[in-house]
Formats: sequence, C-alpha cells, structure tokens
Amino acid sequence: MPAAIRNLRNNPHLLFVRLPKLLSFICIVVGVVWLLLLPLNEYSRQTYISENALLPGQVHAYFTGSEQNIFRGYKRELEGLLNDGQARGGQKDEAEVTAAVSDKMQSILQAAGLKVATQKYEYTSAGITHQGENTYAIIHAPRGDATEAIVLVAPWITADDKLNLNGVTLALTLARYFKRWSLWSKDIIFLITPDSKTGTQAWIDAYHDMHPASVQPLPLKSGALQGALVIEYPLDHRFQTLHIVYDGVNGQLPNLDLFNTAVAIAGGQMGIGANLQEMWAHDDSYEHRLQTMFRGMTKQGLGYATGAHSSFMPYHIDAITLQTKGEGWEDEMALGRTIESLCRSLNNLLEHLHQSFFFYLLMQSNRFVSIGTYLPSAMLIAGNFTIMAIALWMRTGYYPEKPSANPKNEKAPAEEKAKTNIIAERHLALPLSLVVGLHLLGLVPLWVFNNIFHQYFTTTTYIFVVVDIVLPLLLAAILSNGLGLSKPIIPQQYHLIKSFSLLLLGLSLSTLATLNFSLSFMIGLLCAPLSFVARLRGSAPFRLTISSLGLVLLNLVSPPTVLLGVCWYMGVSVEAVLTQAAFGWDVWGMWTQVVVWCVWWPAWLIGCVLLGSSIF
Amino acid sequence: MAVDRRKIAVFGAAFVLRLLLTCFFPSLPDLLTGRVEVSTPVNSFKRLQEGLFLYTGNVSPYDGGVFHQAPLLLPLFALLPNAKSSPLPTAIFYFLVDLLNAHALVNISASGQSVKSKLHSAVRKHVQWDGVSVAAWFLFNPFTIATCLARSTSVFTTSGILFAVSNAVAGNSINAMLALGFASYLSLYPALLFIPLVLLCYDRRSEGPSPPNVGSFIVQQAALLLASVAGLIGLSCLITGSFWEFISATYGFHLLVPDLTPNVGLWWYFFIEMFDSFREFFLGVFWLHLASYVGGLTARFRSQPLFIITSLLGVFAIFKPYSSISDASLFFALLPLYRHLFPLMRYTFFAGSAILYSSLLGPAFYHLWIYAGSGNANFFYAITLVWSLGLSILLADTVFAALRDEWEQEHPEQVGTEVRQV
Repeated sequence: MPAAIRNLRNNPHLLFVRLPKLLSFICIVVGVVWLLLLPLNEYSRQTYISENALLPGQVHAYFTGSEQNIFRGYKRELEGLLNDGQARGGQKDEAEVTAAVSDKMQSILQAAGLKVATQKYEYTSAGITHQGENTYAIIHAPRGDATEAIVLVAPWITADDKLNLNGVTLALTLARYFKRWSLWSKDIIFLITPDSKTGTQAWIDAYHDMHPASVQPLPLKSGALQGALVIEYPLDHRFQTLHIVYDGVNGQLPNLDLFNTAVAIAGGQMGIGANLQEMWAHDDSYEHRLQTMFRGMTKQGLGYATGAHSSFMPYHIDAITLQTKGEGWEDEMALGRTIESLCRSLNNLLEHLHQSFFFYLLMQSNRFVSIGTYLPSAMLIAGNFTIMAIALWMRTGYYPEKPSANPKNEKAPAEEKAKTNIIAERHLALPLSLVVGLHLLGLVPLWVFNNIFHQYFTTTTYIFVVVDIVLPLLLAAILSNGLGLSKPIIPQQYHLIKSFSLLLLGLSLSTLATLNFSLSFMIGLLCAPLSFVARLRGSAPFRLTISSLGLVLLNLVSPPTVLLGVCWYMGVSVEAVLTQAAFGWDVWGMWTQVVVWCVWWPAWLIGCVLLGSSIF
Repeated sequence: MAVDRRKIAVFGAAFVLRLLLTCFFPSLPDLLTGRVEVSTPVNSFKRLQEGLFLYTGNVSPYDGGVFHQAPLLLPLFALLPNAKSSPLPTAIFYFLVDLLNAHALVNISASGQSVKSKLHSAVRKHVQWDGVSVAAWFLFNPFTIATCLARSTSVFTTSGILFAVSNAVAGNSINAMLALGFASYLSLYPALLFIPLVLLCYDRRSEGPSPPNVGSFIVQQAALLLASVAGLIGLSCLITGSFWEFISATYGFHLLVPDLTPNVGLWWYFFIEMFDSFREFFLGVFWLHLASYVGGLTARFRSQPLFIITSLLGVFAIFKPYSSISDASLFFALLPLYRHLFPLMRYTFFAGSAILYSSLLGPAFYHLWIYAGSGNANFFYAITLVWSLGLSILLADTVFAALRDEWEQEHPEQVGTEVRQV
C-alpha cells in the first residue's frame, strides 16, 4: 500500500488524469449494477405492516346484501340522467347534464344525512382551460371531535379517461352505508370530482387555503386529513383484480403501510389479487420484479400525477387509487367491502401514518427495497461527477499542463512553474461567470415550455434541437478565438469550467436523490458521458473528426432529443407530453422541468462547449 | 470628486438585479422571509411586522412574545409604507442599505489595512482586489441577496459593523465607536468586536503625528461606546416605556436563547436535547466559548487588527446563537480583502463545496422534515453541521494562511516550502 501511494505521488499524470476517470467510471458501473441487484431476494425485503393500530382485515365487513339494491338504484338514476343527455344529443348540452347529475348526487347525499357542498374551479395552462365542479359531503364522526378525517374520492373520469359510473355510485352507496355506523372516530369526506387531473388538486388546495384565485374556497371543512382512497371502477362487468396506484406528484410516495394495508385487505381478507405498475402477470421472477421497479421509477422520475390520489401527496396526506381490472367474478360489493375494511383500518389510526417507509421501490405487491438499500446507486452516480470535479480542481492547481502539448499554454504565467509545490494561480472569473450564466440561461427554455400555447410545442422542440446544435459551437468559438469579444481562454480555464459544471451537477443530483431518487438516477445516467468529454488535444484533422463525432453523439442525449426519442418510442405526441408537463407545472406544482432545464441542460451544454472547442 | 464608473456600474447592476428579482418574482421576498436559514427570531421581518402592528396600535411591541428586535427599528419602519400593501419602498430601502454597506466595504478596501497595517506588511501585497471588486463580491453574493430580499434586520447590524470598521481604518475612532454602539444595540454580539476595533483605531492614530496614550485611549473609546449604547437604550425607553420589559425581550432573549426555532447555527438542537437543569451551565459555556476567541485571536494577531475582526466575524457566523446566512455573508464580505492570502489557503475548494452542498441540501432536508414529513429534525441538523464544518474549514484555512504569511515574512528564505505537521 505505501508503495502504491508513493507510486501515485511520483506519477502526477496517473493521479490527476487517469485515476479520476477510472474512479468515475467505476462509480457509474457500480451504481447501475447496484440497482440491478435490488430485485434479488438478498437485497429486497418482504413487506410488513409497521403500524400496529392499522390491524388490517381484523374486522368483518358488512357491506353486502341489501346495499347492492341501493347501489343498483343509485346507478340507474345516474345512468338515466347521463343517457338522457346522450339520447337528446344536441338539444341538451353537457353543462345541463352535469348540473342535473350534480343535483342528483347532492340530493342523494343529503337524503343520506350528510352535509353537502360544492366547489367550482378553473385552471388555464398552455392555452387550455380546465374547469369543473367538485361535489363533496362530510360524515361527522359520532365518536370524534372533527379534528381528523379520511377522504374517499370518486372521479367521474378515471385516470385512463373512462367513465367511472360504478365508482361514483359505489361512493354514494358507501356514504349512505357509513352514515349509519356509529363506530367512526374520524370524519369521512366523500369527494366526487369531474376528472382525475384537476378536481382533487383544486379541492385539496382549497382545503388548505392554498388555492389560486380561479378556485373557489370550500364552504365546509373538517379536520386534518389522515388518508385518502380513490375508487375507480370504470368497467361494466365484474372484475378480477385490484390495481393499486400509489405514485404522487414529484415522485413523493404514500407511507408504505397504506399500500401494505390495501394489499393485505384485498389479498388476505377479500381474496382479490392486488397488482401494481400494470404488471398483470407477475410471476415473481427477477425479470418481472425488475420491470415493476423500472416502471415505478419511470413514474416517480417523471413526477406527474398518476391518478386523483397524487394531488394529496404534497400535503403529506397518504393516498392510493384502487382500480378494478380484468374480467373475473368480483363485483362492486367486494370492492365496497375492501374499501370499508380499509376505512376501518384508517379509522383505527392513533396518529398520522409515520411508522413505515416513505422512500421505497416496490417490485411486487409484497416485496420492496427501502431508501438505505437503493440510495447508494444514485449517490454513486452523482458522486462520479463530484470526484471528477475535485480531480479537475486539483489538476488545475497542482499538475502543470505540458507546454509542448498546446502552443496556447505558453500564455500561462511562467512564474508558477518555477516552484512545483506552490499551487498555481487559478483564473476563476471567466469559468465561474460562464457556468453561472449558462445555468441562468436554463430559465429561458423553462419559461418558454411552461408558458407558450400548446399548438406550438412541437415546433419549439425542434427549434431547441437546432439551438442545441448551434449554441455550443457558437460558445466554443467565442471562447477559443475570442471573436474580438474577449481574450481567448487558457487551457486551465477549460478544466475549471468543467470542474464547476460537474461540481454543480453532482451537487444538484445528490440533493435531488434525497427528494426524487429516480429522477436523479435517470438524469445522472444521461449525464454520465459529460464526466469524460473534454477539450481534445492532437492534430487538427484528428480533433475535428473526433469532436464532430462526439458532438453528434452528445446531441443524441440532449434534453430535446431525448424527449423526441422517448415520444417516438412510446408512440405519443410531443405536444401531448409537453402539454401535460406544462399542466403539471401550472397546477400540480411539478418541478421535473426545473431539473431538466436548470440542471441537466446547462451541464450538457457545457460538455458540448468543451468538446466543440477542440474544433477551433 | 472623480466619479468612479466601475463603482457606479457595480452598484447600479446590484440594485437593478435586486429590483428585477423583486419585480419578476413577487413571491420571492415572502418565501425567503419564511426560510429558517435566512430569518431567525432575532432578525425576522415577519416578527418585525408583528411588532410594528402592535406599536402602531399603541400596544407594547413585546406583548405576545413574538418580537425580539431593538425598539428603535419600529419608528423607522413606521415611517415606511406598509410592506404588505406596497412592498416596493421597503424593498428599495433595504437595497440602499446594502449599497451603503458595499460603500463602507470599498472604503475599508481602499485603506489597504488588510495588506499593510502599522505593525504588519503582507508578503504578497501586489495580489489584491480593488474596492469595487470586493464590493461586487459582497453585492452579488447569493447569501447577501437572499438576506436583502428577505428584509432581515441583520443588514442593519451589518452596516453598523462595516461602518465601524470603515471609520476605524480611516482613524475616525469616534464615529467607529458610535457605529459599533449602534450594531451592539441592535444585536448585542458586535460588542465583542470592541477590543480589535480599538486596536485598529489606535494603530491608525499612532501612525499620525501625535500618538495617544494607550490606557486613556482605551478608556475613552469604552466610554464612547457605553455612552452611545446608553443613549440608544435611553431613546428606546422613551418609545417602549418599560425598561425591563424591553431589555428582557431583546438582550435577555439574545443571551438566554429561549426560542429554539431551527436555524443554521449550532445552538438550537443542542439546547433542545439538553435536560433543563444543565441549561444555565451550558448557556454559560457556549457564551464563554464564543467570547474566548476574542482574547486568543487578539493576542495572536495583534499586528493585524482588521484580520482579527474578519476572523471573529467568521467565528460569530458559526458559533453565535440564532445565526443565519446573513452572518456568513458578512464574513464572506470581508474575506476578499485578504485576496493575498488565497494562494496560501489549502482547502478552499472543499470548504466551498461543503458550503454549496449544505446550502442545497439544507432546504431539501428541511422540506423533507417539515413539509413532506418523510424526514426528521436530524436531517436538517446534520446539514447545519456540514454548513458549520464548511465555514470552520474556511475560517481555519484563512487563519492558517494569515499565520503562514506572517511566518514567510519573518523567514523570507522559507517561502514556498511545504508545511508538515509534526
């Protein structure tokens, strides 16, 4: 070991140039391999209920028998109103139908003895106006003091854009049924929203008085919300399994206990299978576990709302959506019993769900990895940038570049080479201002993509692809030749630019990893090449060829190109994705775009500038 | 008087930047005002508003136990229009205070005291930034901007300290003591700067034709400081009416640290965890620890009084109760005066990285703790430790560089040799 250290000291090229690259590369590889190991039995864990008070499935669910007649009755009434509107087509417009349905729901809830209120809202994003009216009703807990509440949500349109008639009817039936029980110690709020995207957001914002002016305040409120369940039953036949959706906005997740309770009740008490992440035929193999995990990570990383439950998460309210899937022999009463049992479990809670994990990756309905196990993989990837940044900083100070390599190097102050153990003077002003300036420049695309009208999104994306090709070359030319604007920069400053850029990237990604692991991991992987690109040395033709090739490759992983590529692969239109993103920014408070334009894009741009500067 | 174009450009740019930030992001000042990293119980603008409301309603501002700042701020802010309905005048007032602080920094830098004082002359005198660059570092420091936008009342303490120093380097000891009196009146802890400041004044005076007598000079200055503080307290009594109420709500609050709202300092967590019976003892220990640096640094750096002040401000930023990023920004403001020490510093990058990491991770972990509910207090506390570590490394490195500079001056033949720990 001492010999190895001595060897390193005597060989600065190895220490400052080769070793950091090797270390960075190892970090990336280990980070990826780490993630791939997680689905193995040795690294993942069996889920368990941490909060004793939940007691999932310990009570008998009584929602059966005659309640089904009530359900059918309500359904027929609502169906009649909807069909009436459809049958008369042009004569009766949508607003009238909505009003009639809303009146009907209010009268049903009022008849059941609940306090009912409505809330109108309107959001505008990317030139599209979304408006609607929430209807909600509160059962005041006979044994409580209105300080805590559970929310049951039934959106009229599910997350998959289907009419959720059965779900809404079930909510109404449950409202009538729950009202008659005297065992509730928490208020129960029934919320019927017009859709899955906006309704819950408007309602929950107003519940906490955080709503914008276009959203009405709530006339009726209850206590602190302890949990929320969303019911989706868009099928007109019996279902086979329950699909549990749990991802929140910005990758926030509900407490694992809530998910576990739902799985335990659905699977254990009711005998209905529970699926997650659209994995219908999960055979618990390594591939399927990995696939489930990746699907979860994609949703978490993109940070969009996956259902009506997602809007609850930023307010620290644990929420899940129960979707019915497949063709089987479970009917609406089985779903009702599941929800009853879940509500009973939540009703038992003595304090807010806090025992179990908030950071986890699920790979099967009963297997997960917790943050301690998976975080190192994103941290290693973020760490590789920091290692490189530190190495470059050291290199600029302690390791003088060979003057023979580049004629420009002679401009570096000569006196610093006289004393080898004195740290070379670093010229920080230009690198610092360039890196900070380019990061601020990221605000321009951020603003553009969140504020223009939706029909221009596709064009703008293509414009940005072109900008991404031209801008680095332009900057590189200005930097290396000055173009009369400034002094040409010295090689040390290229290292410093890269060092600061990678330092910021590593910094942001490791911070991000604690908030949204998946996003940090994905951006980290896409940025991984940036650790290894630098200004090239050598003969002009060689530099020209290699850097052009490198620029083409780098442009393939630029933010707009990646967006286009993913949209093409998934078969969705760019406009739809960007409209959704702008909507997320405006309504859900989603900040994935900030990471893309103010972390990823500047780092990528600086990488391209460094590579591009080899041409000039 | 020659108009310095660069100075006007820098000051103008700083002003415009602040103005643009307030105009384009109207919610930013309120957001920053609510951040625990920026606003502590003793400098929060929100609490000032509460005090102001009580004051204008003819109720004692200290009723309700929210307001803990000096009472003289109240009539001052009562003159400004209501910050809630028309935020711009208050904001512009704060911008101007920032510019004044920067102006004081330019004066400090112009005196050249950081490189050449009466008893000391740095080896690398030529490596220096001019006053405008130093002011630019101060004005464009994100921490300064955040403090300014958050309208934290620390900026007045900062001006007190900077004006005290700028008057002291000019040899104007009376004004220096008055300014220090103002700063001490506002936040108490600047009184610890008295000794180095007197040294600085004395050194400047004794360079002149008639050097004053040491003993009488110190007594004079001490009397001046006491008189200025007493005068301000007397004025405050006129405003509040009750002497003890205001003393216990302000200085008592500073000294006894009853409010353990999280901040970037080291005190809150420690005192949360502590059994009550030990509280008084450790309060004494913590204050003694803070004050003890004055003696040690003064003795060691007698020849560079301005450096004592700089390093003490660093110590305060780390160890004072209710520390915020404004204290760090004051320390960072004076650091560029020591540009000639930068080549001797060894861990700037690591200190800088630690500070950068903590300033990003701090808000993230605070969010996880308070809003997301998925973290806990230890998350944030760990980051405040990293923050303090970063500052400590920077401070220790600066002190090391200053010592090394002195040593190289005494041993010119040893310049450039490596330091080895034995």
